[in-house]
Amino acid sequence: MSFIRRSFLLAAIASVALASPAIAHEQAGVAAGLASGVLHPLSGPDHLIAMVAVGLWGAQLGAPAIFLLPITFPLVMAIGGVLGVLRIPLPAPEAMIALSGVLLGVAVAMRLRAPFAAAAALVGLFAVFHGHAHGAELPDASDPLAYGAGFVTATGLLHGCGVALGALSRWPVGERLIQGLGAAIALLGGYFLATGLGVAI
Amino acid sequence: MRPSLRILAAWTIVSAFFAPIAVHAHESSLGALELREVRHGAYVARWTIEPTIGAARVDLRMPPHCFFRLPELDCGEKGLVGALTIGNLGSRMSAALIKIIPMEGEARSYTITTANPTVSILGPGAPSLQSWIELGATYLNYGVDHILLGADHLLFVFGLIWIVGVGRRLIGTITAFTIGHSASLAAAAFGLVGVPERPLNACIALSIVFVGVEIVKKRRGEAGLTARYPSAVAGAFGLVHGVGFASALAGLGIESRLLPAALAFFNLGVEIGQLAFVLLTLSLLWAHRRLGAVLTGWGGLVPAYAIGSVAMFWFIGRLLRVLELD
Amino acid sequence: MRHGSAMKHWPRSTSAGALALIASATSANAHIIGARLGDFYAGAAHPLTDLADLILWFALALLAGSLGPSAARPILLFFPLGLLAGSSVGAEVVFAPAGGLAASGMLVLLGLLLAAGLRIHRNLLCVIAFGAAAMRGASNAGGMGPETNRLLFALGIAIAGYVAIALVAAATVAFRGEETVSRGWRRIAIRALGSWIAAIGLMMGGLALAS
Repeated sequence: MSFIRRSFLLAAIASVALASPAIAHEQAGVAAGLASGVLHPLSGPDHLIAMVAVGLWGAQLGAPAIFLLPITFPLVMAIGGVLGVLRIPLPAPEAMIALSGVLLGVAVAMRLRAPFAAAAALVGLFAVFHGHAHGAELPDASDPLAYGAGFVTATGLLHGCGVALGALSRWPVGERLIQGLGAAIALLGGYFLATGLGVAI
Repeated sequence: MRPSLRILAAWTIVSAFFAPIAVHAHESSLGALELREVRHGAYVARWTIEPTIGAARVDLRMPPHCFFRLPELDCGEKGLVGALTIGNLGSRMSAALIKIIPMEGEARSYTITTANPTVSILGPGAPSLQSWIELGATYLNYGVDHILLGADHLLFVFGLIWIVGVGRRLIGTITAFTIGHSASLAAAAFGLVGVPERPLNACIALSIVFVGVEIVKKRRGEAGLTARYPSAVAGAFGLVHGVGFASALAGLGIESRLLPAALAFFNLGVEIGQLAFVLLTLSLLWAHRRLGAVLTGWGGLVPAYAIGSVAMFWFIGRLLRVLELD
Repeated sequence: MRHGSAMKHWPRSTSAGALALIASATSANAHIIGARLGDFYAGAAHPLTDLADLILWFALALLAGSLGPSAARPILLFFPLGLLAGSSVGAEVVFAPAGGLAASGMLVLLGLLLAAGLRIHRNLLCVIAFGAAAMRGASNAGGMGPETNRLLFALGIAIAGYVAIALVAAATVAFRGEETVSRGWRRIAIRALGSWIAAIGLMMGGLALAS
């Protein structure tokens, strides 16, 4: 069957090669929008650490949180995104995002076993702020739909990274590692919070 | 029997019935422009084959240093060197052959197609790497386009897949078809065999009718010729289809020294298009099995009769053209 | 099928190859394809160049596949018919301003149904599929020019929809596994994907309201 597999590869390469002259003409908007959407959550370290922390904490909390989290988080974040698109201001968005890094990092470092409802409310509140920051840039993107798809995908993948890292907690050493990671996230978040407030004052 | 089981059949019929229109649309006009050098850098342009949209409506763009107003073309000291393009190629004019006859040296031909609407014209001398790449891209794309628009060839391949089924035997069958049509394409392009186009097209249609009949036989549990010797049947009919491909190349009038390369790239393009079609058909067959939308009972005969009737419709139409009753 | 043993190995790479073909068409301009290959292929390529169509079709096929083969089968008929119906009336009916909002509403609906893991009735799924298809068909009819052969163009859209829905729904059925086999995380992955889709739809709706 390797013949068939190889021929698929060939066909795929050939089809890409054939389509490539056309790529130059069109769809630069979609590609650019997608790229900027994917890169946006990755380029802001304050977002990035908070998303990973959400995944880590979900993995620590276990059963209901670990699978409810990736399902509900994007939705709540999108509500924040809509607020951002509609230019409805939120109080101190930068500080809140940095604060989310601090609190989630501390929760991971201390293995805080919060009740599920409390954890969900906290994460949901921060999700609104994160979504707002992304959403505010959406209307300026070269292709808003591609931008939206890109940033939702990137956020989901960051959660996935967090959850996958959280799987380390099966081993005692891994558990320590995760707590250390949480502490690092909290410290970084504290730094962003301090600089953000310093600039504000 | 559940109606959903007949979905594939229904779509096969629908798409098959409209395929002739697509094929018809493909038989659009060619244009041939001759540029004869009368003094250094100055040419007289003449449409030897005038496109159906009319010579005046062709948006022919010469290199910027040239002055062009039919029938005069003056490129001054630099001569006719640079990019030549047609801005309004489309479904009504799909290709143009540009023939340049210099005062000294051999005439050169360039082909402009919708897949490759710009050619760069080089000075006299041996073809450079750039012109080889251009030739390759032109004929590769032309081959892909030709097979994708050749609904009769695609329908034949679809019938073969339907009969042979998925597995190692299919690889052999498709390979045999490929070898068959490549061999006869080369033979016809080099003028070793000459088959009049109209009876040939009728034969191609008849080959698809044959496949339809074979599917019905297979359905009844009889081992038809194709089911027993798939490679031999595919190879033999490949010979017929290959001559058909060659007639598409013949219309372009390629220079004889460029013919082997053009033929190779055209054939490669045809294979790429055919492989893409086979892969798409296989993945659709897999998807239908996975979703349980498989044809059972008399529903399994519907595609065979659809293929057969469309092919018969083509055959009668083409036969009338052979007999010149059309 | 008699070639059962051979069958097991190729479906995944087959669908991967087919998806690669579709993805490469995405980047090609439908109008260039139209000039090269005529109105049928122009119609088939047009929705593939529009991200709203890609996401909506993907979401619908995902939902159909996650409900199992028996629910997905009628969609193979209703979805292309809806596209055909939509693209044949689309040229007359102009509802461009509401188009973006309707598409995002449909995305949110499909995404929420997927995320909630609701087992909706197959008849309801048919209605949703037909509605979504008619909507997108009408929107895609905007890609026709005055010289376009409308029948071929509409047929191209419908066949593209048929192929896309069949492949994605079958891939989803294969991914999710049989009812009896426990593949918990795979179903969660499908539900998470649904919530991503709903999130994208929400933001699109916001954008449509804002502009």
